[in-house]
Amino acid sequence: MIEENIQRFDIRDYLRTHLFPHFMCPGCGHGIALRALLWAIHELGISKDKLAIISGIGCSGRTGAYIDAHTIHTTHGRPLAYATGLKLARPDLEVIVITGDGDCLAIGGNHLIHACRRNLNLTCLMLNNETYGMTGGQVSPTTSNDRFTTTTPLGNYEPVFDACALAIGAGASLVGREITMHVTALKDLMKEGISHQGFSFLEILSDCTEIYGRKNELGESAEMVLSQKANYRSDSYGNQVDEPFKPRDITTGILAKNDRVEYLDACHQHKMSKLQKAMNT
Amino acid sequence: MVAMSESNMINAQTDESLKEAPLQEITTNVLIVGVGGQGVIMLSKVLAALCQEQGFDVKQSEVHGMAKRGGSVFSHVRFGKKVFSPTIPQGNADILVALEWAEGLRWLSYLNPEKGVFIADTQRIVPPFACRDRRRYATSGYVQESVEEVINQVPNSSAMDAVAMAKELGVPKAANTILLGALSTTLDFEVDNWKSIIARFVPPKTVEANLMAFDTGREWIDNFDKQTQLENSVTAVTSPLEIWPVEQNQAVVEINAAWCKSCDICVKFCPERCLALDSQQIATLIKPEACTGCRVCERLCPDFAINIHTPAVN
Amino acid sequence: MSISPENELENLEGNHACAVAAIAAGCRFYAGYPITPSSEIAERMALELPKVDGTFIQMEDEIGSMGAVVGASIGGVKAMTATSGPGFSLKQENLGFAAATEIPCVIINVMRGGPSTGMPTRPAQGDVMQARWGTHGDHPIIVLTPCSVKEIYEQTIRAFDLSETLRVPVVVLFDETIGHLIETIDLSQTNNRKLVERKWASGPQEGFQPYAMTEDSIPPMPRPGDGYRTHITGLHHGESGFPTQDPGQVERFIQRILGKLDQHRQQVESYEAFECEDAELLVVAYGITARAAKRAVKQARAKKIKAGLFRPITLWPFPETVFCSLAKGTKAVLVPEMNAGQLNLEIERHCSDSTRVIPINRFDGEPIAPGQIFEKIQELVSK
Repeated sequence: MIEENIQRFDIRDYLRTHLFPHFMCPGCGHGIALRALLWAIHELGISKDKLAIISGIGCSGRTGAYIDAHTIHTTHGRPLAYATGLKLARPDLEVIVITGDGDCLAIGGNHLIHACRRNLNLTCLMLNNETYGMTGGQVSPTTSNDRFTTTTPLGNYEPVFDACALAIGAGASLVGREITMHVTALKDLMKEGISHQGFSFLEILSDCTEIYGRKNELGESAEMVLSQKANYRSDSYGNQVDEPFKPRDITTGILAKNDRVEYLDACHQHKMSKLQKAMNT
Repeated sequence: MVAMSESNMINAQTDESLKEAPLQEITTNVLIVGVGGQGVIMLSKVLAALCQEQGFDVKQSEVHGMAKRGGSVFSHVRFGKKVFSPTIPQGNADILVALEWAEGLRWLSYLNPEKGVFIADTQRIVPPFACRDRRRYATSGYVQESVEEVINQVPNSSAMDAVAMAKELGVPKAANTILLGALSTTLDFEVDNWKSIIARFVPPKTVEANLMAFDTGREWIDNFDKQTQLENSVTAVTSPLEIWPVEQNQAVVEINAAWCKSCDICVKFCPERCLALDSQQIATLIKPEACTGCRVCERLCPDFAINIHTPAVN
Repeated sequence: MSISPENELENLEGNHACAVAAIAAGCRFYAGYPITPSSEIAERMALELPKVDGTFIQMEDEIGSMGAVVGASIGGVKAMTATSGPGFSLKQENLGFAAATEIPCVIINVMRGGPSTGMPTRPAQGDVMQARWGTHGDHPIIVLTPCSVKEIYEQTIRAFDLSETLRVPVVVLFDETIGHLIETIDLSQTNNRKLVERKWASGPQEGFQPYAMTEDSIPPMPRPGDGYRTHITGLHHGESGFPTQDPGQVERFIQRILGKLDQHRQQVESYEAFECEDAELLVVAYGITARAAKRAVKQARAKKIKAGLFRPITLWPFPETVFCSLAKGTKAVLVPEMNAGQLNLEIERHCSDSTRVIPINRFDGEPIAPGQIFEKIQELVSK
């Protein structure tokens, strides 16, 4: 109903259609996440000319190329470093980082925590599919316990990384999580993240259907999407007396938000106050 | 153990006295209804605890577990010197507290037609089953009665927008406590007793907010004037469902076969089962007449192979 | 150096001269990470950049700082980083990205003893081959080796000019000795120079090819926000900028990026030939070693020994044509280096069989003294 009020959203207006069909596997959740992102961009009225998408390596890294914007497909784990440089050089651009669980938390973990700490006005979308899909499905920092991957043939026994808790701890001023099944909620969360003044970190739980899903017998694409629902629990139910059966709690929505001063604002304020002091003395 | 045997003795004594008077005269029946997530259970727990503390025998019977928003939740609270049946017979509820408008109307037949007090929140939560016909412009299955119609028909009734009041107080989740305040005016318990029970049941951080909400509910009832509400309510309540002009409208489903990767998500998620994979394993619309244009397939298609076109609304 | 009123003389440390030169060249972005012996460059940039509305950022690590530099350059701002040994190793992957995607950037490497942590405070010239082949795969790169504070200043400016015009990463390679050397230089000549601008894309956005095969092999670069909406990827890409595995497209792409330095060799190459015309004995040296070699050559000339010095300023691509013509007919070529022998391999490659190539190596953290080179010259002549 709402979308009719603004200009109708046709995703193809935001895609490099000549590259389609895209290279992702059937049922890959990254496609759904990409729709949510473009839908959010549409509703926010961000010009494609002012949009820079920076991605790393892996399945998540390849999704950026399909967006009709200034897209940069960087090195493994480093998109946040590139984005930091680009945003500092060109604050007029809307810089959005698309990264994956391995890209962001393993090889690029250091960049993530410092991007959170600095609070530069970037949006980091971490597509978490619990595996390194592009290289054939190896264990990642977010692979659930007991899951089979090519490098955990007996099931994963390493502890799972809670990316959102990490981002909150490192000081990101907006942290959120959503599942791809909730496309509309995901779009709204992305809108929130992109329009937030400061560093926003959004974890998007996405399905690797063909590799991780098959290996762990998680069902067909649709079943995997549906099982996101079973695993998730909206925050609004959090304090209720009666709690239905829930196999694995996933809290979604905005998990943390604060009004820490943005990096460039802080930089500017600092300069101004020094100038003021210099003038007074 | 001692307490148990003593209460058994008391019960035994009251059983004797009960024979003299009809059940209704000494047992008070409160029916609290709403939908999951609103705080029906919480409200009835407070009432039950208070009654128990005041020395009454209390029976509380509830249906819940439909905690996901939209599911119906109700709770029977019966108290008196001795209560036997856990449930309230139709037409016997002394008080009906409704946290959701349609739920209130659904349970109206349980209210004592002459003396029963009806306290309702005008909040409307439209359940999924009220939207069976998902086509645009379809009318919803939600109750169509207006607040004033209902208030007019039920003698002792009051309808408040508790959610709006709670929001105004800055505690949007305390709408149920506002209704509890309203309920408290109809029962003969001390205000302080109510408050001490509330303080015990709500999370410590929210005690103050809840007591404030409780007072708001009491004040509202004190100042309530049915005539005024009837005059004002014409514009006070609007349905959350837009009423579309009733006319059949066909959505157009555009499927880009070249982009489809046969993942089957659209087929399995379509609420109307109007999609299928064809012999080439490409998504196809097999029942165009059943399509409501709900866009589930479009939005969940990871390959952007489906586009739904619906005519713009004026 | 004559002192006249127009001269702007300043006593500068090599590292500081590098920072001041970067600002003069139009550098407005610096990202780095502290490392000895290059930290003074970062410190000076932190001081200078805010004055010209530039951005300084100390990143979380060496990798991140290289990434940020490339990111800023993509945004259209001249960007630089400075590092040393271990940091240079860490930067290699993103340096390769810049080479493959043709993003201009300048990397200063103040060489220290290696491998590994090595001798952080002692000079060396051990990164000559790494500077050329540090990142994986065939790639174009320009490496400049100044030998004085004045030359650090000049070559840093030149590094920006080359990088911006040729769309190639440029490494300025000097050793700790020069980095920490304080000399008086004259800044007046470079102060009012015209800034070199990157060739920006203009014209129709429809059908724009960001990696088109232009005549000069340097496709104009699209600036984000100008409406071109192109794709930049470290994957092999065709003229459209999108990944390709088509053998023909890949071959053309690699040939173009490798060939463009050949095509612009005139602009890229720089060297100093001292007393080379009649030299029978050629010394090839760079950086601080070249200063020692020059003195040794002068000593030799005083003793009527026909010695000359060839000093490549552009180390990579090596100015081979000039060198070959000078080396032709010489009896021996001496290659003193503060490493176990790196450039001498390149020299051997360019010398005929009749010319002996004699390395003089030192890797103990001490510079090579003129006497050491002169002794070798005398030894060769007496034979």
